Amino acid sequence: MEVNFELNGTHVNIETEPNQTLLDMLREEAGIKSVKKGCEQGECGACTILLDGLPVTSCLILAPQVEGKRITTIEGLEKNPLMIDLRDAFIENGAIQCGFCTPGMLISAYALLRDNPQPNEYEVKKGIEGNICRCTGYVKIIEAILDAAERIEPE
Amino acid sequence: MPSFKYHQPKTLGEALEQLNTLELAVPFAGGTDLLSSIREGVCKPDHLVDLNNVPELNYIREEGGYIKIGATVTHNQLVASPLIKEKGYALHDAAINLGSLQIRNRGTIAGNLCNASPAADTAPPLLVLNAEVTISSQNDLRVIPLEDLFAGPKINSLEPNELVTEIRFPVPPSNSGSAFHRIGRRKAFTLSVVSAAAYLEMNHDIIEDIRVAFGSVAITPLRLPQLEELYKGKQLTDQTMVELGETVKAHVAPISDVRGTDEYRRDMCPVLMKKSLNKARERIR
Repeated sequence: MEVNFELNGTHVNIETEPNQTLLDMLREEAGIKSVKKGCEQGECGACTILLDGLPVTSCLILAPQVEGKRITTIEGLEKNPLMIDLRDAFIENGAIQCGFCTPGMLISAYALLRDNPQPNEYEVKKGIEGNICRCTGYVKIIEAILDAAERIEPE
Repeated sequence: MPSFKYHQPKTLGEALEQLNTLELAVPFAGGTDLLSSIREGVCKPDHLVDLNNVPELNYIREEGGYIKIGATVTHNQLVASPLIKEKGYALHDAAINLGSLQIRNRGTIAGNLCNASPAADTAPPLLVLNAEVTISSQNDLRVIPLEDLFAGPKINSLEPNELVTEIRFPVPPSNSGSAFHRIGRRKAFTLSVVSAAAYLEMNHDIIEDIRVAFGSVAITPLRLPQLEELYKGKQLTDQTMVELGETVKAHVAPISDVRGTDEYRRDMCPVLMKKSLNKARERIR
């Protein structure tokens, strides 16, 4: 079957099967390798993407479910000012070690700061509660997100 | 993942027809539990009927003395609803800590209830709010108390062609409040080891109505109406809550598993109940 949707601002048309997950379709058919395959149970958050702007785990969504929807991954936010602030803050704060969780973590952090540009530490923790990192112990990630919030230019 | 046929009905009528006519058809909403079950072979559907494109199943509204919640309302929709926070605060408490942000954006209220897990976090709050469930099939419609949806651990009382379409609870009076507390193995993104919801209607210090319900302490989410009756008309004091808590411990039947022992779960019932009762009282305007 065919599924039509918007992927990072571009209309795409991909051949898929009903039992293929959005995660597999993005990685295997669309070549979006930033979306990581971790637990495939919605527990680790490494496959987090934005579905119509909301962070969701793409391993728990079937490919045909995104018909007519808008999917955003970090590739689609490369030139986004907020994502650039986040990326710089992650690098400068040492919030990236092995990097496996980073794309999902950045998507969750992006959604958080987009909706709440001045979060407190608790709100940051709540924002990334669905993203597991086995390297950093989270401290530097939380610091990086708070740092990125300070970099945001007031509108 | 095993293969199945996928259906995307646009109306409730179409969805009910598919559930009625297709063999081994399973309704599919958030997918946060169902897709794992399918992968593990626990659930083996021939047909998945996706309810996400049926707009008439997605609403939260006050109507005819009830708060009405459509089946596919997600946990984050519950969290964001001022109506739920104002009239069913215990349900807000449960939804805001359920799963993770990503799960709350997909998982639905009817999915959480129909899975019939004894640990379903939305169940104890809805039990104390006197919730009812509307169940539809192609040729029938019935409303049952939420208690009757739970038939056993992970077993609901639905027929294969039936669908939960709405969850509703009576608008509580202004002298009431409700709350929900839980304990997990960690603070975030974890199943409840044990949970408790409470609802109070007060006339100054006197209890007009009191309702308590617990999660993960029996084969289904558990409300204890026979105990509640004993406390109506009494003063709500620390002593009352200790007494009620001790009685509750004698009425629950938890098991030991990887998340906790039966003894621990039993001991935590009065603790969480008291926290929820105190919070419910604080919330009375």
